[in-house]
Amino acid sequence: MTGKEKVLAVLNKEKIASIPWLPFAGVHSGRLKGYTAREVSTDAAKLIESLREVNKLYKPDGQPIMFDLQIEAEILGCELLWSEDAPPTVSTHPLSDTADIPEHIPAVNEGRIPLAIEAMKAMKGEIGDTTALYGLITGPFTLASHLRGTNIFMDMIMNPSYVTELLGYCTKVAKAVSTFYIEAGMDVIAVVDPLVSQISPDHFGEFMDKPFAEVFDLIRAAGAKSSFFVCGNASANIAPMCKTRPDSISVDENVNLATAKKITDEYNVVIGGNIPLTSVMLFGTQQDNMKNTVDLIDSVDNTDLLIIAPGCDMPYATPVENTIGVQQAVHQTEQIREMVKNYEGTEIEFEGELPDYNNLEKPFIEVFTLDSITCAACTYMKASAVDIKEHFGDKIDMIEYKYTDPQNIARCKVMEVKQLPSIYINGELKYSSIIPNRSEFIAVVEKCL
Amino acid sequence: MADFEKISELMQKGKADEVKQLCAEALEEGVAPKDVLDMALLAAMNIVGVKFKNNEVFVPEVLIAARAMNFGLEILKPAMVDDDIEEIGKVVIGTVKGDLHDIGKNLVKIMFEGKGLTVIDLGADVSAEKYVEAASNENANVIACSALLTTTMTQMEAIVKAAEDAGIRDKVTIMVGGAPVTQKFCDSIGADIYAADAATASEKALEVCTK
Ligand code: B1M
Repeated sequence: MTGKEKVLAVLNKEKIASIPWLPFAGVHSGRLKGYTAREVSTDAAKLIESLREVNKLYKPDGQPIMFDLQIEAEILGCELLWSEDAPPTVSTHPLSDTADIPEHIPAVNEGRIPLAIEAMKAMKGEIGDTTALYGLITGPFTLASHLRGTNIFMDMIMNPSYVTELLGYCTKVAKAVSTFYIEAGMDVIAVVDPLVSQISPDHFGEFMDKPFAEVFDLIRAAGAKSSFFVCGNASANIAPMCKTRPDSISVDENVNLATAKKITDEYNVVIGGNIPLTSVMLFGTQQDNMKNTVDLIDSVDNTDLLIIAPGCDMPYATPVENTIGVQQAVHQTEQIREMVKNYEGTEIEFEGELPDYNNLEKPFIEVFTLDSITCAACTYMKASAVDIKEHFGDKIDMIEYKYTDPQNIARCKVMEVKQLPSIYINGELKYSSIIPNRSEFIAVVEKCL
Repeated sequence: MADFEKISELMQKGKADEVKQLCAEALEEGVAPKDVLDMALLAAMNIVGVKFKNNEVFVPEVLIAARAMNFGLEILKPAMVDDDIEEIGKVVIGTVKGDLHDIGKNLVKIMFEGKGLTVIDLGADVSAEKYVEAASNENANVIACSALLTTTMTQMEAIVKAAEDAGIRDKVTIMVGGAPVTQKFCDSIGADIYAADAATASEKALEVCTK
């Protein structure tokens, strides 16, 4: 089964043997290619190059094109504050002092929609056969808050009819943008609405039922799949969200996935989530990420109707090896469970002997991988070392240590290898996670000759 | 006799006009404004804070209760004699530079006000210099900074530094909070107090101001 087939099968509520993996690499994609958040948010060529790298390194079953909740708002007159290491943010709210309801619906050639569509079409052509592509739109409530500011919360109580009307307008915008993205080839439209976590189930019922149901109906009628993304503690709103009939919902670490899954299972809705973004993905080690993912998978009653994903948009600076660790843990759960156990078990002593790195006869390249067969980044890392070995022939030595062997885990501990895949030359860390470019790698080895 | 319980209940439901009217009636009956404030309005805000913490009420309900509290305060303030309005303390609050998440900050502000503290709200995307300038000008007891992003929480260290540079560090308590902030982080940047939620933040600020 391709990744795309897996995602679509699960969204069609079929039972399959494996769990799909959906890395939310928004602006983080740029980091893989050395581009800033601003660059991948404004330059289609750089975005496409970065998305290609995400696909290559993270082996996603499904992949978002942009995770940017500001695209619609920018077109509708909100000013943005730009950042190099985060998506832009809305800084002004055009409706803050007026009760007017706008009429303008974004057109396909407005603002950054053409950028998104160009990237969607390019990725559809390149990876669209094997990877399910996600187009993300701003949900009606969050869009309304971009336009109105946080006054919208008070309006819900003091001027409910205004809120209903404003949400009606935002729903039209959401439907228009969903249509553009479906026409650009997106398999799944994710309606992203972090603000939904901040209201009561009663308010959800009063205001959100109709707008969200309408958007999901439109997506369904257009033949695409849908997802309802929320960030924050939305525990109280899981059932109300399911009632708007999305194919799936996605939650962050503030929601207990196992508890929420009991609810989504009742509604036959797929649930996705929720590797902690900050404590684990950004600040944790690769081991933490693998362990967390295995524990998460073990925490749910059953793995049907389940997608594993980060809690929300991944921080720009998320270490690459952490995402690779999660990917491995989703795709090779049993193997990683064993590795984590072996790593945690203090009893394994390293039985071999480390080379005398200061007195080597020839340069020695050591490749540490999770498993160069199943882990894409490891495959590339290993291949680049094999290529260099072929280039230099007998002048150098090269070996791969797979983490699947407990003795190799012990070796990693002794050598203090923290990230996989990594390349060490003469006992020193030279490359980790990001595959070295060939000419640079050759130059580095030449210096050691 | 004024029914503090009733005022509190109405305030929790955000019934601003009713709260205002009952506060006025209480004053007419000769109840001390400070008693209405403490036993009805601030008590109600306390309950709202706890309910919010326990996920029993959500952001709109807190904001609407705060509005009702302010309606009541409008009546009580002019009636308070000078020694009633002894200023407990002053807090300068804002969300740090580069960060526009202000929902949490607004709730913390409300809880501070609910403890009777004077709050100067600098809004969101506030530079270190601005916090320190406001704190000096206002002679504030506390600088309260909120951050929701891991990329912006580092700004808090700049605020501690700016307070040192301006020579007010020993006069002002620096309090930090927001979802990604932890006690460990607070310690590591040399800030004084970390609070995990708005209710706790207000208790800790009150403690500082009444010490
Ligand atoms: C001084 O002492 C103190 C003491 C206690 C203090 C304190 C100060 N400040 C707060 N507290 C404490 O008391 C409060 C009450 O008890 C609490 O405050 P909180 O603010 O925590 O709680 C509030 C009452 C309710 N909570 C909130 O208001 C935040 C909820 C979540 C869902 C959230 C929202 C709503 C929004 N967001 Co944003 N957003 C998320 C949030 C998810 C989460 N897990 O927190 C978070 C914070 N956002 C995130 C992101 C990535 C972003 N957001 C963005 C935008 C937005 C919206 C505009 C859509 C909206 C904000 C609206 C607004 N005006 O504030 C973008 C950046 C904006 C920017 N530069 O500021 C954007 C970059 C998204 C994007 N891709 O475009 C994530 C941050 C990841 C990280 N660790 O860095 C995030 C954790 C969501 C996620 N799971 O990915 C306590 O923390």
